[in-house]
Amino acid sequence: MKYYIKLSLILLIFCAVASGILAYINTLTAPVIAQRKAKEEIATREALIPNANFTQAQTADGASYFVASNPETQEILGYTFIAAEIGYSSTVQTMVGVDKDFKVLGIKIIDQAETPGLGANCTNDNFTSQYAGMTIENLYVDKDGGAVIALSGATITSRCITNSIRNRIQAVKSDISAGGIQ
Amino acid sequence: MSFVKELSKGIIKDNPIFILVLGMCPTLAVTTSVINALGMGFAATFVLLCSNIIISLIKNITPSKIRIPVYIVVIASFVSIVDMVMAAYLPGLHKSLGLFIPLIVVNCIILGRAEAFASKNNVLLSIADAIGMGLGFTLSLSVIATIREILGAGTWLGIKITPLTYDPMLVAILAPGAFITLGFLMALMNMLKEKK
Repeated sequence: MKYYIKLSLILLIFCAVASGILAYINTLTAPVIAQRKAKEEIATREALIPNANFTQAQTADGASYFVASNPETQEILGYTFIAAEIGYSSTVQTMVGVDKDFKVLGIKIIDQAETPGLGANCTNDNFTSQYAGMTIENLYVDKDGGAVIALSGATITSRCITNSIRNRIQAVKSDISAGGIQ
Repeated sequence: MSFVKELSKGIIKDNPIFILVLGMCPTLAVTTSVINALGMGFAATFVLLCSNIIISLIKNITPSKIRIPVYIVVIASFVSIVDMVMAAYLPGLHKSLGLFIPLIVVNCIILGRAEAFASKNNVLLSIADAIGMGLGFTLSLSVIATIREILGAGTWLGIKITPLTYDPMLVAILAPGAFITLGFLMALMNMLKEKK
């Protein structure tokens, strides 16, 4: 009996030392990670709608989006938001920029873990660039009768990205016409 | 003399992938591109080096009955440290490897070397063993990844190298391609060994 208590105590000491070290390193790195993530998000936003002031707003379902306005004239230039939906094997997160008439300016896949060689190709420029200029009317993949040319072998991923973008545009649009920030 | 011997054995004679057949899960998962293979190889080498050092240092105070849980705590701690430090200071690499870093915990090369080598040898030899095994692992991953990336995507380290008329063989970068490539390479290694 005494022997087993001794063993457990030794294991406990090892675990305590290890968690102490981990906690210390976490306090060092966590702020750096958070800062870098925030910076990345700002950089992506600015690449989608350059030279604008961003103010945060919220849709009815609680998701946030950003209103981009001209810093001098305060004229609204467009909106950016993150669209997320479950694709084939992961949640695909897409940062979307639209102009004030909700025409897509550009998109960037910010997080995904789809099949390498198939769905993971959604981060390629020649897939994402086709979204520029699209509106909710034609934001469907080609199989569903829309204008988005799906990645070969990855219709599910393409459809999830396209649908998530369309749904978020609709949510932001109805929020603004319902008297959100004008 | 034995330092050099322990260092070099991991590369061919006791190659962790082709001879010891350890760490198959990350091997199959990350070898879709050379850059992933190199990143995984170096991350695993770093964890292996740290865990081998610590385990050979604590080998006298670890009761043998609970050595496996202790090794796992040591390894998992180093993996978490690598994960956090990489996310903070090397975000680019962390983005492409993020998924695979937790896999290092279950990489049997690390636990295998802790059990088979570091728990029985001194720190210096354990360092040599870790570096040798790590290099062997990295090299083997790179060889598999080179074959798969060229066949499956027509690129090497992201640079297009095949003629434009070559239609990439998609199966090579999917899971079956990993098994097929690994099988052929293992057969080749065995053939070379028999000849000697």
